[in-house]
Amino acid sequence: MTDIAFYTLSALAIWSGWRVFRVDSMIRATFALMVSFISVAGIALLMSADYIGVATVFMMAVEMMVMALFMVMFMMNPAGLNPMQMVHQYRFSIGAGIVAFIGLSVAVLATNLPHNPLPAGRDTMRDLGIELLGASMLIFETAGVTLLATMLGAVALSSRNGRFGNSEEGALPPGLHPGGTPAGRKVEKGGGHGGHGGHGGHGGHGGHGDHGMKESDKAGDKGDTDAGHMHHHAPAPDEDHQHTPKKEH
Amino acid sequence: MGMNWLAHLAARAEVPVFLAEGEAAPAEYAHLLARMPALRMVDTPRAAAILLVVGTVPKALLPQLHRLHDQLPHPRATILWQSRNDLSGAKRIDSAEDIGTAIKTLHSDLLAGNVESEPDILPDAPPNEWRGVGPHGQGGKGMMGGTPYGRPMAMTAADLRDGLELDTYTADFGPFLPMFPPGLVLKLTLQGDVIQTVAVTHPPFETTEDRGWVLLDLLGLPALAQRKLRGDATGKGSFDRLARLTAARAAIPDGLGRTHDGSDVRARFDHLMSRRDSALNLHLHHTGLDDLLVGLEWHEAMLVLNSFDTASLRTICGNTPEPETDDDADGEDDKKEGGMDHGAHAGHM
Amino acid sequence: MSFPVAFLIMLVFLLFGIALAAILDGVIYRRIAGRPGIPVLMPFYRAAAHLSRQRIETEAPDRLNWFLAIGGYIAVGAVGLAVVPLGPESAVIGIKTSVVLWGACEALVVVLVFLHGWSPNSPLALIGAYRYVAIGLPIMLLSMFVLIAAALPAQSLDLREIVISQEDIWNVIRQPLGLPLFLLLGLSLTLRGPFDYADSTDLAGGTAAEDSGAYRAGWQVARLTMLVGFSAVAATAFLGGYLGPVLPGPVWLALKTLVVMVLVIGLSHLLARMPVARMLGLIWKVLLPIAFVDLLLAGLVALA
Repeated sequence: MTDIAFYTLSALAIWSGWRVFRVDSMIRATFALMVSFISVAGIALLMSADYIGVATVFMMAVEMMVMALFMVMFMMNPAGLNPMQMVHQYRFSIGAGIVAFIGLSVAVLATNLPHNPLPAGRDTMRDLGIELLGASMLIFETAGVTLLATMLGAVALSSRNGRFGNSEEGALPPGLHPGGTPAGRKVEKGGGHGGHGGHGGHGGHGGHGDHGMKESDKAGDKGDTDAGHMHHHAPAPDEDHQHTPKKEH
Repeated sequence: MGMNWLAHLAARAEVPVFLAEGEAAPAEYAHLLARMPALRMVDTPRAAAILLVVGTVPKALLPQLHRLHDQLPHPRATILWQSRNDLSGAKRIDSAEDIGTAIKTLHSDLLAGNVESEPDILPDAPPNEWRGVGPHGQGGKGMMGGTPYGRPMAMTAADLRDGLELDTYTADFGPFLPMFPPGLVLKLTLQGDVIQTVAVTHPPFETTEDRGWVLLDLLGLPALAQRKLRGDATGKGSFDRLARLTAARAAIPDGLGRTHDGSDVRARFDHLMSRRDSALNLHLHHTGLDDLLVGLEWHEAMLVLNSFDTASLRTICGNTPEPETDDDADGEDDKKEGGMDHGAHAGHM
Repeated sequence: MSFPVAFLIMLVFLLFGIALAAILDGVIYRRIAGRPGIPVLMPFYRAAAHLSRQRIETEAPDRLNWFLAIGGYIAVGAVGLAVVPLGPESAVIGIKTSVVLWGACEALVVVLVFLHGWSPNSPLALIGAYRYVAIGLPIMLLSMFVLIAAALPAQSLDLREIVISQEDIWNVIRQPLGLPLFLLLGLSLTLRGPFDYADSTDLAGGTAAEDSGAYRAGWQVARLTMLVGFSAVAATAFLGGYLGPVLPGPVWLALKTLVVMVLVIGLSHLLARMPVARMLGLIWKVLLPIAFVDLLLAGLVALA
């Protein structure tokens, strides 16, 4: 019974892992990955790791949801209307895949895996808790505090009252020396942005990444001519807008 | 036999009706329809069995009406109420008394198979041919590209709130969307649910219908909206008490949709709820829809649109400038190619 | 109680729960709308009407995910009901981590609602899906804090233990902040009223805007299934579940579930929905700190 469940779950995990690379939509790829992880969580349940198994389902669902959202939101194709080639950089990825497969296989085959079945009814959850807050506490807490600091940093950077002032007023980092030009990268004006519909082939991922970086700099660059106002064709942001409509009268 | 049994049960349900409002609609039609117990107005044509055209849809909007008609699931039928439009197979009703029974009868007949379901008016085909290339139809050389069904891949543009790069989506919305004032067609560019640009394709029809109940509906209070729409059967006191209990006023952000004279959605909501007959005196000489809607997210934008009476909204639409044409050629391309298709695909009502 | 018996009881519980929820919704709606009559059979007629209409496909939909979203939502609601104990040591899914399993169900609801809005390939449905994720994720954090607080007195993540720990005093009294916060989660999980950011009127039905025929009926049933599952979990975690004098355990559970169900439906018709940005502010700045306080108090009580 357990064996059947194990093989079924393993097969599902491998099949959905393979589907990740064969489907033509980011959403399907993401959730195929989720199914793969959930199958692994099922295997963890079979190994009487009930907390880890169920928590994996929980974490993966949230994680993949966030991932899907960010990918779709920031990259392209909001409505998923157009099909996409999900695979690129063939040679590199094939190479990396083979190396990873050999490495992991060697690791699995070369390790002397423990074989001591747990007695039925053993409270593994309690063991896990004692382990996390006992022997492994330093690792656990270090990881926890690091993650928390990262989260706070991300929120601080992305919030409206960012590190260098209100982002809506064109926040600028201070100069490297007193009175100097603002630090940070510069962007050449014109070209690039705006509606990019229609033309075929974006030269794969590299080209796209480039583009993204250039654009994201614009936020930092804003206001180097007249700080305090967004400029060129970007209309005023909503808040400004509601209180002091921009039209002259 | 099984189907008969199902149809028999189905015929006892309230008839789901999708309203398509035209010009010169009969007075108080929404109020009248809400008082008919056997009918239920639905939000989307996908949920409707009967398409009810109230008043006359002008010629410019007929393609949208035809598309709307085809979006109803079979079995479906159309009723024209005081309408000079011409739809093949549609039934004409002129007096308000007959409308309830006519719809009910037509629905039962449809389910029993006594009346044929109306066929599509438009051909069921993509607006443009498939032009995808490659194993996934992605076209081009990279991960994507090509213009399958004439629809170019959406690409990112700067967001006007925080400068993040998000995909934009441009489409015509209206004129039969239930949360839009009747007749209004807007060309909106969206990033997620935030409106980036607004252009008026068609202004709303002239009516004197009160949109107060729509605001309640938009605030997630359909039952209370029904109560308001049905009128004074239970007295104004109990309605006011309920409205206060729901904190509907507090749910509207302060200062949302403020016009130059200082009135915001909250103030206009108060006015609509108080049922005073005097119109709120708005000074809208300089306010355009772009001032009001750009940068708002969808829900807020709908609250703003419905807080005005039709005359004010028509003035505002008149103040809305034509959108600046994008200077780069890509934008042009987008408009030419995408416009057609988006119109069709999002001619969602 | 043996597994087949528990399973059968839960199945009956679920079917009756769905029917009752649909009827209650109609009754409360009519009371507020000021319309006479108690429409007992209307939900069934309406379902029949949906089933007798054609199911339309949109242009280039994600057919598999459309189907899976509806089926999965029903399944997840049913799993929620299955972890609820009917009596000591008798739940359909009796595992030691049942609270975490319910948490996983909550997380999957967000995924499934998103997929439901994604699949039809339609703008309004997609906006609903995005918006729901923005609200669904933080509200889930809130429920985690509240549920961990409820689990603290039992010193266990097992709903059966949590019920036993409430023999002297129910969690709703011991942790007064818990149930109100958890009810807000219920509104969000079942896409109702003030937390209905997925299927709302301002998007002409949102993620359900393109559903017709059988799928439309299926999605409504899924929402009601979730309502029943959620109400049973809330009744178990905060109202002592099957505990109660004289009447048998399952009857008590059913009564308490009914109470929670009426509360959720009533709130959904009586609380206004605010725009999504405002709601996000409310959740992160007000509700999450309150949930922290709830957890802190429960922790201090457990230490004392």
